[in-house]
Amino acid sequence: MSDIGKVRLRIPSSIKAGDVVRVRSLIIHPMERIERDAQGKIIDKKYNYITKVTVTYLGKAVVSFDTTQSVSENPFFSFAFRATDPGPLKVLFTDTTGGRYEGTADIKFS
Amino acid sequence: MRLATTPRWLAIPVLAVGCATMASDAPDYTSVPAWTTRAVPEARGDVRTLPGGKRQAVRYKGWTAADFGKFRTYAYVDTRPDIPVQRAAMPNGVAGDPKKGRALFMLRAKGPCTGCHLIPGDDVWPAGSVGPDLSTIADRRLTNDYLFQQVYDPRVVFPQTSMPPWGAVGVFTPEEIVHIVAFLQTLKGPAPPEKDPDRNPQTRKKPVGFGDNLDPTNNPAVLLAEDAEPQWQAKGPAGKACADCHTGGPEKSMKGVATRYPRFLPQYKRVMSIEDFLTVHGPEMTGTPLPAESEAHLTMAVRVKMASNGMPVAIDTSSPEARAALTRGKASFYRRVGERNHACADCHTPEKGANKFLGGRLLGNVTDGLTRHFPTWRTDRTEVWDMRKRMQWCMTPLGMNMLPSDSIEYAELELYLTTFDVGKPISVPGIRH
Repeated sequence: MSDIGKVRLRIPSSIKAGDVVRVRSLIIHPMERIERDAQGKIIDKKYNYITKVTVTYLGKAVVSFDTTQSVSENPFFSFAFRATDPGPLKVLFTDTTGGRYEGTADIKFS
Repeated sequence: MRLATTPRWLAIPVLAVGCATMASDAPDYTSVPAWTTRAVPEARGDVRTLPGGKRQAVRYKGWTAADFGKFRTYAYVDTRPDIPVQRAAMPNGVAGDPKKGRALFMLRAKGPCTGCHLIPGDDVWPAGSVGPDLSTIADRRLTNDYLFQQVYDPRVVFPQTSMPPWGAVGVFTPEEIVHIVAFLQTLKGPAPPEKDPDRNPQTRKKPVGFGDNLDPTNNPAVLLAEDAEPQWQAKGPAGKACADCHTGGPEKSMKGVATRYPRFLPQYKRVMSIEDFLTVHGPEMTGTPLPAESEAHLTMAVRVKMASNGMPVAIDTSSPEARAALTRGKASFYRRVGERNHACADCHTPEKGANKFLGGRLLGNVTDGLTRHFPTWRTDRTEVWDMRKRMQWCMTPLGMNMLPSDSIEYAELELYLTTFDVGKPISVPGIRH
């Protein structure tokens, strides 16, 4: 899949200092499921799926998720944080093949 | 119901004068050219013969390979008559077994009858409401012979029914229908109280959709459509890229284009949707093939249509060719096809099945306009489907071989469907189950 790792973040259009902000994120990723052979035995291979999602705000980790194969293809994650200062919010997805995919949203106050 | 062809000299003045009555004119199939498909192999509706002589239909990965060549399709060259109406008598010497009958009623490999009819039982899931609720049918004291005929071929009593002639097409044998009749005669009232309102299609909640289809964090198809940008810039073997003629990028140069499709294109002598047009126009200009239903094709179709998002559909069907196409498209909508002897109209007109449940699926209403969110993201398939793949999907369980996705027949059917979208805003990519 050529388009693996596209990330999109969405934040509210108007944020005030001190607001609790809900962030929506989506990544294009196959999140490979366990495959079985004709006998029903699990095929032993390296499945490609996201194992870690880390959110960084102003250079500090604010939350991280450990994820497994039971999360759907093209997963959607939503979380909230308190916006104290303007600056970048980064979401980093890491998968089992070592792929690192990052999305950034610029937190600005209006 | 292949309709009589009208001579051209007669048809054209009628079309020019009788605007309001256009739809009732007999469709003219003589002016439809042959069309060579430009679809990927699995979208062409091919049927191959295996070494043992068995015929196998070529469809998409994961779809059935059953060949329904015995039954009529939407092809204009398919002039086979209607399935003859059959009067049938109950076979003698078969004792109906209600238990077997109930199993047959529920069998997914056959009907299942529960797709349209409700019966009691917690294991009935999910029942539809296209046909009458049969929970207390035995109280009506209908004769076995009458019920047998209703299942075998209900057209004897109701010529316009949506119900397939199960016996006449051979889905159920006469013996199996005897068991079903025996089961129906056990359904005496009062129906047991409902424990779960979702079991009964009359009280079931209607699906609420999947939220904002244009939110990229909600609809993966929005992100996938971004792949169209490098495609737009890529020079093909002919030394040209889309961007060389259409300046300003797809958003600016394609603004409003999708509102005018499907349309009749004189240079190809046929009606085309954006998708159809891309399969010929792309390769002609850039030299890069863009077969229908390929990933690149769908991506580009989504991107082009996105440039018209929010704009009302404004197809022009005033030319004589477009009107003739529309007449044929409407005839296809009402044409009975396949093993199930269904027409589109059975499920998608408000007089019949629209807004009712077919199993757990709420049937779309043609008068709402069914085309303006295509290509659409299908959550259960995790794929982008255009209108044509959706049509091919719809037709397969009806027991019919599909046509190539870029066929003229589908294009004209889509043209008819799109007349109900006129004035309503395009919103691509959609998101549906």
